[in-house]
Amino acid sequence: MKHTFKIGGIHPAENKTASLEIDLQPLPTTVCLPLQQHIGAPAKAIVKRGDKVTRGQIIADPGGFVSAPVHASISGTVTAIENVIMPDGRTAPAVVIKADEDEHQADTEARKVFWVKIDEERTLEDIIGNLNADKLRAKIAGAGIVGLGGATFPSHVKLNAKDAAPDTLIINGCECEPFLRCDDALMCRWPHQTLEGARLLMRASGVKRVIVGVEDNKPRAIEALVKASEDMPEIEICPVKTKYPQGGEKQLIEALTGRRVASGALPASAGVIVNNIATAFAAYQAIAFDEPLIERIITVTGDIPADMRRNYIVALGTPFSELPFTLPENAMAIIGGPMMGRSAVRLDAPVTKGSSGLLLISHPTNYETQPCVRCAECVEACPMGLEPYLISTYGRLRHWDDARNAGVADCIECGSCSYVCPSHRPILDFIRIAKIRSRK
Amino acid sequence: MENPRLIFSSTPHVRTTNSTSKAMLHVIIALLPAVACSLWYFRLPALLVLLVSIGSCMAIEWGVTRFMFHRKNTLTDCSAILTGILLALNLPSTLPLWMVVAGAVMAVGVAKMAFGGLGCNIFNPALVGRVFLLISFPVAMTTWPVPLADGITGPTILSMTKLGTINATDAQLMPLFLGFTGGSMGEVSAAALLLGFIYLLAVKVIRWHIPVSIIAGLAAIDLIAGYPPLIDILSGGLLLGAIFMATDYVTSPMTKKGMVLYGLLIGLITAVIRRWGAYPEGMSFAILIMNGFTPLINRYIRPQRFSPRRKEAIA
Repeated sequence: MKHTFKIGGIHPAENKTASLEIDLQPLPTTVCLPLQQHIGAPAKAIVKRGDKVTRGQIIADPGGFVSAPVHASISGTVTAIENVIMPDGRTAPAVVIKADEDEHQADTEARKVFWVKIDEERTLEDIIGNLNADKLRAKIAGAGIVGLGGATFPSHVKLNAKDAAPDTLIINGCECEPFLRCDDALMCRWPHQTLEGARLLMRASGVKRVIVGVEDNKPRAIEALVKASEDMPEIEICPVKTKYPQGGEKQLIEALTGRRVASGALPASAGVIVNNIATAFAAYQAIAFDEPLIERIITVTGDIPADMRRNYIVALGTPFSELPFTLPENAMAIIGGPMMGRSAVRLDAPVTKGSSGLLLISHPTNYETQPCVRCAECVEACPMGLEPYLISTYGRLRHWDDARNAGVADCIECGSCSYVCPSHRPILDFIRIAKIRSRK
Repeated sequence: MENPRLIFSSTPHVRTTNSTSKAMLHVIIALLPAVACSLWYFRLPALLVLLVSIGSCMAIEWGVTRFMFHRKNTLTDCSAILTGILLALNLPSTLPLWMVVAGAVMAVGVAKMAFGGLGCNIFNPALVGRVFLLISFPVAMTTWPVPLADGITGPTILSMTKLGTINATDAQLMPLFLGFTGGSMGEVSAAALLLGFIYLLAVKVIRWHIPVSIIAGLAAIDLIAGYPPLIDILSGGLLLGAIFMATDYVTSPMTKKGMVLYGLLIGLITAVIRRWGAYPEGMSFAILIMNGFTPLINRYIRPQRFSPRRKEAIA
């Protein structure tokens, strides 16, 4: 029987039509690096206007324990530290770096060398040297690594779960969001490096085994990982059923270990640490090459010409508008996947650590909201076993206590309820309101 | 490319291509075999009843939304057409047309629109219409024309066994299955109804839980009462009710467990009315009674939550 979570789940159209190739997106001459690209305290800028910085240099220190530093993704001169507009239209403080012609050339060359060098398969013993768990975590923290699946939780904090004594590290390669293929492409292209990264995370967190969960709609990635893991006894590659939200943290833990994380508890309470596959790859880069997190792989896809649906290695801080794409009619631009990604209104905003994709789709204008007919589709779909129609109604009627009793705090906002609703009701929107307002 | 106009939306940004109207259309399609059978068996009178029923249901819904709700008309959701068809299939083809209109007023006007329209009703509108007519005009509502025989009416197997004129074990299965016995327009051919059931399951508009547990509940009582279950299942409005009326989204429970309980109780009540009640037929009453219990079932039979409470957390 296929590994999967037990309750609910849906099968949205996969639309995984992007190429599995990964291209190097040329470095921009100006980058804009927000100080808050992670969950937790914003980083504190340590450079000032006019400073010269080099690619990979720290430009902002972590602002607390749950925080991450920010590194320069190009060499150049700091031209401003100011509020810039983010994709969602809000402003946030950021460091702006401008490169001159020479710096741009030098960076481009160095980057090319790096991405060739990464192809050589280095082994764990070779990389790890005399680094113990604490030092590994310190290096991961210093490289500014955060969860690259989209949640952007600082990785070193997650890995430091000694009190809970976790025994398993789960590497999330599900990529259950429709459209996106950046993780799939990564696993196909650099399976060895990714798995070594997973072993590094394992060493850093002190657990004994790694399970890599990959949805079975990625046969090429599974094959590549199985082959690469042949001489890695601690690693188990585990195909899971293609069902949304298989990559949800709690769902994946249940699918792979049979354990359920309690309401309001962290995965560590079930003895598990979950990290994204791209995070493992970032850890490999950080430890094997001392390369901080200054680039990430993102998928550009959607209702655009087929040859434009591709994956790119993009320097953080690059404006989305520099990526090659066309806009469909009634365009929506979504940073991330179509189920949980954020809608963008400004494409001149920068790519950040949490941007896994740029999805350009036409707004579906062909439906209208109808009354709830209590068809129970949402109840069937909810992976947390909640009653979305009911909580949504509580939210609409402002019955915060009732919403709390109905378990609104468990909602993972996966959007399955709104997706399946045949009356196209904004179920999740009201649940979200109830979730915020019912907090004690 | 500088700042193009983009549409902002909240998650999820994609939606299912299903819609409530499509679900209603699927049910209408699933009813077509039964409609065709009734038109074939009962000819012109059946067509008139059908058209009058659909027409008056739509007219009432339009009138109420236009003149009382002052809202955009809701006819496009197809629920009024569906109620019209279901109501007609629940009536004998010989019913005077003004009674059909009265039934439609009760069904759509009172049972549905008075509660607020689609999704707000507690009781199945078509059944409210039927039961209203059954209680108000018992003679007209229980005069069953015999299929394919103009102007001849006869009793149904259920009424005959109730009166003791025949023994149920003597009844023939095949005519019941194909529809050569008297009855309401839509209930005569079990084969046509089952065809619709298979279609509804195939397009995933309904689940099997309610119809199957209704049949199970009925069969259980039949076995106790010593009545042949197959005859009971194939006769009267049982299949029509189990497949098309009890499964109405609005008036049935939200969880599978709830659906099973709801179905079993409908089967049980139907069998009890048929065996020991005053009426030969009990399906409509059973469904309406359980419609009333649906909110209670929803309250006490909840889906299984994912997260155990913190205390019972698995280490």
